[in-house]
Amino acid sequence: MKRWRPIVKLPSWLLLALFLMGWEAAVRLYEVPAWLLPAPSLIGRTLGEQIVGILPHLIVTLSEAGLGFVLAIMLALVLAFILDNLPSVKKAVEPLLVASQTIPVITIAPLIIIWLGYGLAPKVAVVILVCFFPVVVNLLQGLATVDPDLVNLFRTMGANRAQIFRLVKMPAALPALFSGIKIAATYCLMAAIIGEWLGAREGLGYYMVLAQKSFYTDRVFAVIILIAVVSLLLYHVINWLERRLIPWNYKNEGVKS
Amino acid sequence: MKKWPAIILILLIVMTMMAGCQKQKPQNDKTKLTVTLDWTPNTNHTGLYVAQSEGFYNAQGLEVDIIQPGEAGALGLVGASKAQFAVSYQEEVILARAQGVPVVAVAAIIQHNTSGFAAPVDRGIKSPADFAGKRYGGWGGPSEQATLDLLMTKAGKKADTISMVNIGTTDFFAAVRRDIDFSWIYWGWTGIEAEQRGMKLDYIPLKDLDPVLDYYTPVLVANEKWLQDNPETARHFLAATSQGYNFSRRQPEAAADILLQAAPELNPELVKASQRYLGPLYQAEAPRWGEMRAVVWERYADWLYKNGVLKEPLPTNQAFTNDYLPSAN
Repeated sequence: MKRWRPIVKLPSWLLLALFLMGWEAAVRLYEVPAWLLPAPSLIGRTLGEQIVGILPHLIVTLSEAGLGFVLAIMLALVLAFILDNLPSVKKAVEPLLVASQTIPVITIAPLIIIWLGYGLAPKVAVVILVCFFPVVVNLLQGLATVDPDLVNLFRTMGANRAQIFRLVKMPAALPALFSGIKIAATYCLMAAIIGEWLGAREGLGYYMVLAQKSFYTDRVFAVIILIAVVSLLLYHVINWLERRLIPWNYKNEGVKS
Repeated sequence: MKKWPAIILILLIVMTMMAGCQKQKPQNDKTKLTVTLDWTPNTNHTGLYVAQSEGFYNAQGLEVDIIQPGEAGALGLVGASKAQFAVSYQEEVILARAQGVPVVAVAAIIQHNTSGFAAPVDRGIKSPADFAGKRYGGWGGPSEQATLDLLMTKAGKKADTISMVNIGTTDFFAAVRRDIDFSWIYWGWTGIEAEQRGMKLDYIPLKDLDPVLDYYTPVLVANEKWLQDNPETARHFLAATSQGYNFSRRQPEAAADILLQAAPELNPELVKASQRYLGPLYQAEAPRWGEMRAVVWERYADWLYKNGVLKEPLPTNQAFTNDYLPSAN
């Protein structure tokens, strides 16, 4: 049966409402100035007033994040295929992959901008850098847990490596791949904004720098809310795709809930 | 047994804690102040470091901590009372006050605006008219667009032919190598560095272009409420700071050495040359170091308002004060 699923469930809404009410009350009670911490009501009003000006920036940031996200997934698929087939290379590369994640993006991003300029390329590069790792690690783990008996069965039936990867390993690793992709989806907007923060002529990061330099803290928060909402939507689009692509992973859910 | 590594570790921790306790002895009864810089240490800040290292602050009963803000704005820290003083500039003070940030400028570190537009000579930028069709690398300041508009209009060109990019904190020399044609620099730092690198720059000083652009940058700011509550401490602080900048004016070589001691990672040649350049400019023709003129504040705030950077006119008589400066001698 098809059922409408709310993106955010009721308990989340309640918690959020409670949090916002506490915030609003605290700001009013202690008379916190708006430049220091704007009240949720003010942020909402600002978002409404500024949304027309913000939207073009959102589109820029979304395209950077989207492009980087797709490229990161493709790169991860290729690398995972190679590493899965060459266990000795995998052993050599895996620690380096982990090490690459310990580089603070914020310190390397200015360099990426110097290397690649101020256009689209450095933002996409930062997004790839951030999104690539969760996808490849999850995918490798998924591939490693494939039932060896099944692989052997296919091998005795004369399947080659590419066929085994496509018919056995990949379907089995899809759930893991998707959990990696979901993590990456929540990171990709943030990564694009880090890239923009350090040098851009448009995008949400650029908008926020200008807002912050003018002490429009309410506008900064308005954009943060927009980012959260869009990231949440992105996450659920991936979720939806996952259900369409690997329904077998969800076959028992109707019984559970 | 294999317990001894753990024992050594515990001993080390205990020793570190004891060492920490020893340092926590109350040092003195001096008033502690924090000054937040606007940027990494440079010759705009020399007077502060001189006052610190030559004991001018100590003599006034102060213990001053000089910190760098990183990405958190220095002005915001002062507004939120996390620091008493900060290095800022006139535009930022005006914009901050327009949003209700309680900060007041208390001294102009340099009398005139020593910043301007610079480009490698091969870009052929001799005057603002040449900005047309070029790529400008800005730091994301709200008045940048208005400033370029003003200059282009005066030159009879259209400002929207400039491609504006926010290059953030990227180094000028890295930025102009490929992506940017011209940028906004402090001559006393980046211009002199270019000279030392043997790089030929075309430089257009802001103060020569229009009187309104000869605003105060950098300035020292203080928290408004703190200033009202601690007028004497503020006077002591500014007396010592003024001493520091007067010292830097009279003895640029010694001042450069002091700055280098505080920030050894700086290039000594650059600091020395910059210090010689800035020495006479800190006070310039003003009757005393730090003094600000009302007309400079009004003119610039008016201009920001007329160009839409400020939504409402801002009275500037509250935005700055000379009251805490030591009297001229």
